Amino acid sequence: MLKLGIPSFFLFILILQIKGDDFKEEIFIKPLPPSHLYVNFHFITLVNGEESFEHSHLAPRSLGEIMSRYQVEELHLTLTEGQWKHKQWGYPVLDAAPGAELYAWFSPEVIDVDAHWKKLSSTLSGLFCASLNFIENFNTITPKMSLWPTGAQKLKQNYTSQLRYASLPREIVCTENLTPWKKLLPCESSHGFSSLLNSRMIHNTNYHSIGVHVRRTCVDNNCLDTNLEIKQTVALVYDFKIINSMDWSFRKLFGQGLPGACPLSSSSKIYIDTTSNSTYRFKLSPEPNNIVLSQRGGSETELAVYNITNSVMMNIVAKYETKDKIFVNIPPPLTFTQYVLGYGKEFGGIVTELTNNYWAPIDVVLLENAPWWLPIQLSSLRINGEAESKLIMSQYYSPGKSRQKPYHLELLLRLPPKSTTTLTIDFEFVFLKWQEYPPDANHGFYIGSALISANLPTAKNYTSLPIHGNTFDSVINASKPWYPMIFRTNGAMVSLPTPDFSMPYNVICLACTVVALAFGPLNNICTKELVLKAAGTPLSLRQKIFNIFKKKKD
Amino acid sequence: MALMRKYFVAGIVRYWLIHTDYWQTIANRVEIATPLNSWKRLIEGVYLYDHGIDPYEGDSFHESPIMLLFFHFILKKVPYLLPLIFTFMDILTAHILYKTSKAFVRLFEETQEKNKQHVAEESKTMLLNKSQLNEAPDYVLSVYLFNPYSVLNCVGMTSTVTQNLLISMSLWGAASGQKLLACIFIALATHQALYPILLVVPISILLADVNKGCNKCSYIRTLLAFVLCWGFLIYISAYIMDGSYRYVYNTYGFILTVPDLKPNIGLFWYFFTEMFEHFRLLFVCAFQINALALYVVPLTLRFHKEPVLLATVLIALSTIFRSYPCVGDVGFYLALLPLWKHLFTFMQQKFIVGCAFIITSVLGPTVWHLWIYSGSANANFFFGVTLSFATAQIFLITDLLFAYIKREFTLKHGSSRRIDDKPAKLVLQ
Repeated sequence: MLKLGIPSFFLFILILQIKGDDFKEEIFIKPLPPSHLYVNFHFITLVNGEESFEHSHLAPRSLGEIMSRYQVEELHLTLTEGQWKHKQWGYPVLDAAPGAELYAWFSPEVIDVDAHWKKLSSTLSGLFCASLNFIENFNTITPKMSLWPTGAQKLKQNYTSQLRYASLPREIVCTENLTPWKKLLPCESSHGFSSLLNSRMIHNTNYHSIGVHVRRTCVDNNCLDTNLEIKQTVALVYDFKIINSMDWSFRKLFGQGLPGACPLSSSSKIYIDTTSNSTYRFKLSPEPNNIVLSQRGGSETELAVYNITNSVMMNIVAKYETKDKIFVNIPPPLTFTQYVLGYGKEFGGIVTELTNNYWAPIDVVLLENAPWWLPIQLSSLRINGEAESKLIMSQYYSPGKSRQKPYHLELLLRLPPKSTTTLTIDFEFVFLKWQEYPPDANHGFYIGSALISANLPTAKNYTSLPIHGNTFDSVINASKPWYPMIFRTNGAMVSLPTPDFSMPYNVICLACTVVALAFGPLNNICTKELVLKAAGTPLSLRQKIFNIFKKKKD
Repeated sequence: MALMRKYFVAGIVRYWLIHTDYWQTIANRVEIATPLNSWKRLIEGVYLYDHGIDPYEGDSFHESPIMLLFFHFILKKVPYLLPLIFTFMDILTAHILYKTSKAFVRLFEETQEKNKQHVAEESKTMLLNKSQLNEAPDYVLSVYLFNPYSVLNCVGMTSTVTQNLLISMSLWGAASGQKLLACIFIALATHQALYPILLVVPISILLADVNKGCNKCSYIRTLLAFVLCWGFLIYISAYIMDGSYRYVYNTYGFILTVPDLKPNIGLFWYFFTEMFEHFRLLFVCAFQINALALYVVPLTLRFHKEPVLLATVLIALSTIFRSYPCVGDVGFYLALLPLWKHLFTFMQQKFIVGCAFIITSVLGPTVWHLWIYSGSANANFFFGVTLSFATAQIFLITDLLFAYIKREFTLKHGSSRRIDDKPAKLVLQ
């Protein structure tokens, strides 16, 4: 049975290869000395052509139908827990905002983009069991400069108007999101690298982010034909403190060894960044298949490559030789941080600090996306304390409207070399209606992270794939004049003033009483005549009390 | 001379306070600056307008386009003159109120003369003499100049300063019989804050009284002039905003639908914070009718012979019940009260109202601090204070009206409260 199975399997793959559909899986592991380990999974499914989607045996049909029904050109969805620390860890392959983040470009034929967007988010909400259905007009923006499509696009078309972006910083990512995500893979979680994604282990990390990225890529250089690329990613950052030692192994990280490659994949590779080996020596076992030296944008990276072909249980182990060495962290070219200013619940400010550690100026686009309940005042924008700064090269502002539209500010800034640029913008706290507060209103409200897109002049700490690359091999020796990256700053939290939730009846009664206090006398004055009326001799209080007792005696 | 000294001192106090470090704190106080009139929002609107962004697209600016243009001009050309301009506007308001009250006093004298034959013999002493009448304008002036509510309002550089100026101008125009002037200014005030539309009624009565002749024709002419002025202003504003009427939603719409629930001294904020969603529209309508329409007709029918009293009461009631009131509005109608100094003897709740004003004015900022900054109180505390402040104002106004009808009665029937030598009391029947 088994003997018969394997050849037919290969035949099957062969058919798929002819058809042009392709599946690859990759793991990229990078130690982040001294205390963390970055593991990044990539599952790439390429579908040839546009019509063949329904006949593909590799691509998830559920996702494909969503793409074609809502005419989505490019889609990026990430569900993230934790905060990537750019200053300490360098740059991730793909950055993601805390919570849920979704952005998509719709096809230029779509006229009512907002309606499609709403439907898309609701459908994805069902597909991934995430609260994406909370995406409404009041938390959706259309970035003008920060985001650009990464896939193949027809030239001379206005893509910005077809873009929608939303982030839900409050979203909590859990197993229920991972399970449907794994179901989209051809091998699901039974074979291949995805069998390592054991929710018990991966939710035990400092940072984890799962994502789905769909785009169109060119088949060849002429780009007459396009493929649909579905890339599913998982990024994990392990804390050595949690796994209890610096030595790591697959068994320690994922609770089990690697059971081999997915039979449907055309390539299953593991890349381990061993550049830090020169300072923090560690030994890998088993020995890697080969070691690649990559020179990219003035920085050298050494990658140990494992080519997994068989389905034999395997456990990659790294053993550190020196354990207590002082590590000097050299920060990447661009670092940033965001925080909230002020005390009390009346006025506050958001501060964004951007540090350029490079010797040349860096141009960045900063996108501040404040929810409607955090009205920012553009007139209070200060860059390094100046109202009219020369650093701003271009600016876009769309004021928010309560319960309808968020505040959206985009700035193209030229960050001077070796300097920190501080942006402050003031906001006023909004008093919401009592039913608009989420459960546990005093927990606070999350502010989404700001987006920073930059074209970095150097590839130091840069791990992202080049824009045309599908797989990790494309990183090797991929020197380019610019290294584009979209960063997310850390999120923040504010505590909005709350009413007393137990009071609605009392408040309604009291306020109406006061209104009645005016209405009654005014009604009397207007409708009645003042007359003198004979009165009986009024009883004094003493007499009244006396009368009561008198009655009782009777 | 004494007059000049008053103006000078009041001007200096205002100008100095604007230049102290407390200015920012004062300009940000919830009691002084509402979303409708705050200086901060005006600056934001002008900034957006200056940068080619429609200020009415967002939710940060609720002034009329005319104000936008006016302040855009000032902020661009002479920003350093702003404190001076605000001080000057407030002093001008005081001066116009002074002149208006002089005209009003003349009106009082005339009516008193006319009704003399109806006055009971024993009440003749109650009639106002020259010196009593001449005192009133001085009191009006002093109250407006030195009332902390008005002072703080001016120091906070709120747009209520402009509004008070416009209302006083229209009252003056009415008192001096200049129909067009009155209509233009009342239309400007209405265009800015909507609620002054109530004043059309007393102003048209006043104009008819002052100008004499055909009453009905005068009413119609005034009303027509007002509608034309207002319509023209609405059109001009749209012209300023490149023909877009979107500003209407952000000015009148904002006032009427109360979307911003930031606390103020009024009744709306907590009521609509705690309102059940499906009753919101009903209660918004009820409260706005209460502020805009409910009292106009009955009060007009009852007090059409006293348009000045009608104007005072309508200004006060619309201040108490408007959606975004501030202390500047309160200060304005308090300044009109000395005109009714002769009624004070008939008022019963002066002491209670006085105490309530003082206590709430002290407690308001205190509980606000406790709620917002130290977190040891909650919204109910501030709500309680605003509620009692509103109650105090209501008591003041109803008491004033009661005092007026009691005085009327006394003038007519004498001050004796006896029927056939038996004790009797005054009742409404």
